[in-house]
Amino acid sequence: MESTLQSLWLGFSVALQPGMLWYAFVGCLVGTLVGVLPGIGPLSGISILLPITFGMNATQAVIMLAGIYYGSQYGGSTTAILMRIPGEASSVMTCIDGGAMAKKGRAGAALCIAAVGSFIAGTFGLVLLTVLAPPLASLALSFGPPEYTALLVLGLIFLAYMSSTSLMRTLLMACLGLMLGMIGIDNMTGHFRYSFDLPELGDGIGIVPVAVGLFGLGEILSTPSKNVTAEVISPKLRELLPNREEWRQSVMPIARGSVLGFIIGIIPGSAHIISSFLSYALEKKVSRRPEEFGKGAVAGVAGPESANNAASTGAFVPMLALGIPTGPITAVLIGALMVHGVAAGPQLISEHPQVFWGFVASMYVGNLMLLLLNLPLVGLFVTVLRIPYAYLYPLIIMFCIIGVYEVSHSIVDVWIMLIMGILGYGLRKFGFDPAPLVLGLVIAPIFEQSLRQSLIMSNGDYLIFLQRPIALGLVAVSVVLLAMSAISFVLHRKDWRAKLAEAEAGEPSA
Amino acid sequence: MDRRSFLIGASAAALAAKPVLAQDAFPSRPVTIVNAFPPGGVNDIVTRPLATLLEPILKQPVVVETKAGAAGQVGAQFVASAKPDGYTILSHNTGISGYAEVDKLFGRPAKTTRADFIPLARLVADPMLLLVNDQQPWKTLKEFIDHAKAHKDTLVFSSGGLYGASHLPLAYLEKVTGPLGLRHLPTNGGGPAITAILGNNAQVTTQSVSATLPHVKSGKLRPLATFGATRSKVLPDVPTLKELGHNVEYYLWVGMFAPKGTPVPIVTILRAAIDKAAHSDQFTTTLTNAGQELAYLDGPDFQKFWDIDGAKTDDAVKLIGRQG
Amino acid sequence: MSLRADHVAGAFFIVAGLLVMALSGDLPMGRLSMPGAGFLPRIVAVLMIVLGAALALRAHESGPLAAIDWSDLRHALPVVAITAAAIALYERIGFITVMIALVLGLLLIIERRSVWRAAIYSGVLVVLAFGLFAKALKAPLPIGPFGF
Repeated sequence: MESTLQSLWLGFSVALQPGMLWYAFVGCLVGTLVGVLPGIGPLSGISILLPITFGMNATQAVIMLAGIYYGSQYGGSTTAILMRIPGEASSVMTCIDGGAMAKKGRAGAALCIAAVGSFIAGTFGLVLLTVLAPPLASLALSFGPPEYTALLVLGLIFLAYMSSTSLMRTLLMACLGLMLGMIGIDNMTGHFRYSFDLPELGDGIGIVPVAVGLFGLGEILSTPSKNVTAEVISPKLRELLPNREEWRQSVMPIARGSVLGFIIGIIPGSAHIISSFLSYALEKKVSRRPEEFGKGAVAGVAGPESANNAASTGAFVPMLALGIPTGPITAVLIGALMVHGVAAGPQLISEHPQVFWGFVASMYVGNLMLLLLNLPLVGLFVTVLRIPYAYLYPLIIMFCIIGVYEVSHSIVDVWIMLIMGILGYGLRKFGFDPAPLVLGLVIAPIFEQSLRQSLIMSNGDYLIFLQRPIALGLVAVSVVLLAMSAISFVLHRKDWRAKLAEAEAGEPSA
Repeated sequence: MDRRSFLIGASAAALAAKPVLAQDAFPSRPVTIVNAFPPGGVNDIVTRPLATLLEPILKQPVVVETKAGAAGQVGAQFVASAKPDGYTILSHNTGISGYAEVDKLFGRPAKTTRADFIPLARLVADPMLLLVNDQQPWKTLKEFIDHAKAHKDTLVFSSGGLYGASHLPLAYLEKVTGPLGLRHLPTNGGGPAITAILGNNAQVTTQSVSATLPHVKSGKLRPLATFGATRSKVLPDVPTLKELGHNVEYYLWVGMFAPKGTPVPIVTILRAAIDKAAHSDQFTTTLTNAGQELAYLDGPDFQKFWDIDGAKTDDAVKLIGRQG
Repeated sequence: MSLRADHVAGAFFIVAGLLVMALSGDLPMGRLSMPGAGFLPRIVAVLMIVLGAALALRAHESGPLAAIDWSDLRHALPVVAITAAAIALYERIGFITVMIALVLGLLLIIERRSVWRAAIYSGVLVVLAFGLFAKALKAPLPIGPFGF
């Protein structure tokens, strides 16, 4: 512990040099920009700016590039809340309740809560990273395909809590999402599935085109400008900050989201995508007023935003301690370190302590910078909503197109976005909620792949899911959850019969 | 009426403003390098610095555009069907060789073949290693092969994807040693494949030197042999397969391509520019830092190399066949 | 019996499920211990058909089809048409031209705003976005034959 503090002191002595502060600031600024603008995520942001870092030393480079990464996590919520464009998969959940809060005139509050939640989650993740990186990293390695499968079974159960519509409608949406998620080349056998031999569909349908179409465009299609009264969405400046009640409602979701997100972030692979979904479902499950979710629940913004930020910090654990990427972005950062002659791997901490600790310390500084940068920006961003809706929505459509196109420069993705927009319009008409569809789309490819990988590992024996401790634990949680809902279903049924009896007796049911 | 006259006016103004003339010397506008692989891979690490260095030579902006998907097939097809004017070139790797053969295997029409591209330059050629993790007892290739053959269907081999650059080397090896009876665990790329073997979810893999060097140095992974023609400078103790009596070579190489039909003078300009950029100190330093070495081949030599390498890939794909 | 909203919705999912089954043609099923490429898709398709049928059977709980309000269709259809045209031309004519046309088209044709305000608004914002993406962040946007 003492040596950790000493090392951290070394780190701060590196990170607080004026030059380093400057690079951290530039990184955070670019990150905020990249995060706010849809389409250019941290991935392309970092890779585009990589050549600029060639003149710097490794510490400066990684401080700046990492700033882009965690900075973009702060900005990601902005378009989701203001325009209901989820710029990346992790902000899909934010755009549901964040967008609803904006409609109620609480956009400023939603943005503030997102920023503060991100700050708390990011800092919390950092403390854990500082203290526990090596032991946590070995945990990351023990998370193989069977553990993944078990985690995603849990995710599928959580699907049921995703929506306020009936269970059957939720499951139908989830099935549709799972189906869309299976489009593309089958990784295990090389078959092209349902992709009509289009190579653009080879890697499957992206989450961003679907989410942007269903939420961003779909919302616009069902909202003619004559139905919008301007006063409703443009908030007054003094109402920008969250009120006492809103703060109170966001404390526990931020705490839970931080823990959940960090744990999921450590897992190598694509698990970080589901952190915000799981947090949303968890908040809804534990909430005393689950019916508010989807209509502007504060917890529906605070939880997922914190989870998503904690996950991005958690992702550094295996990257720094083991040199293994948890996702494409950490892979780019490892590449950037390599270009500067620093091999990310088990020896990073001992061979390059000033890089490692300087980097960790700079993230403490960077998170604070981001909070100070983002809070004043809230006022600026909210003025976007002062644009009359008739002028605003053409702009949103433009940003939908840019955002989807820029992800992989594919016009096919933009067509998918349009089709999904029409689908989203239709689904609304028939009383379906698109959120479970997106989660199904996220889960399908990971679930299918990890299930089949597990079976390759065990040579076809399903007992593998019960033989490994973490997988067994996750399966046990799933079973308990299912049992609990089965019990409550039976109780609810009784309740329903009782209601029916009351109704027959001529009394109005509540 | 107002509206229409405005639109007509606007488009007329746009036409009048068009400054570019076709007769200008190449290049007269920005050149785009399409990278068929996502950021973080070896293509991105090689292509971005190259593009930066090409700008002062070509005296035009050089833009890297990522068009990743379907294991590099999306980018390849995009460039194959782009206008062959030298303004769109492709950064690709070993994977470009096998698409046609895999399509044939599944009875699909081939989207691109090797004949669709003019090779401009090969930049790096990173030899593959055959690696096992530290929980396995074998110290030599022979011990491993003997164990694998004696205990068929017990060991798991992780790769970055079916028919991919970290799957084909196994087929090359099995062609000379006979089937090893490994169970294949495909993942979503080199990183996940390495994670799988580090966590002992797989026991064997083939990956490039630069991707695994830190793990080899820390002792987590043990290389049993290299697929290179000579021993690697950074891993001088690892024998080559050829030394061990298996006539196999396999590299993860990165090259630049122009679409078929690009005029010869333009190809020549591009080749000369890439040649100059690739041999600059800045580029070689970047490569060394990334654990790579410049393995430069100019267009015609690259074509010769590719003809042989591609034919071997076809054989390997056929050997692997359809997996269910 | 009158046609309810959920009759249509249920039918949609049944058709979608059947379509998936039909498209699954030669995808191998594999075995339970080693699922093939067609294994999970078929399971999900069957689930979709079953749930869709259940939805249609319980359709009496939903409102009548005729009660759905389609008044916003007069807004949605032109928006879809203009957006589709913009997407079709996006890579061919280039970002700036197409986006100005898109924003202008929406403002003039659907919203019937004054030409000059719409022109200034669209021009300024599109050029601003172009500068931000293509110049400041060096993220390539499609360039048309006019060089912008």
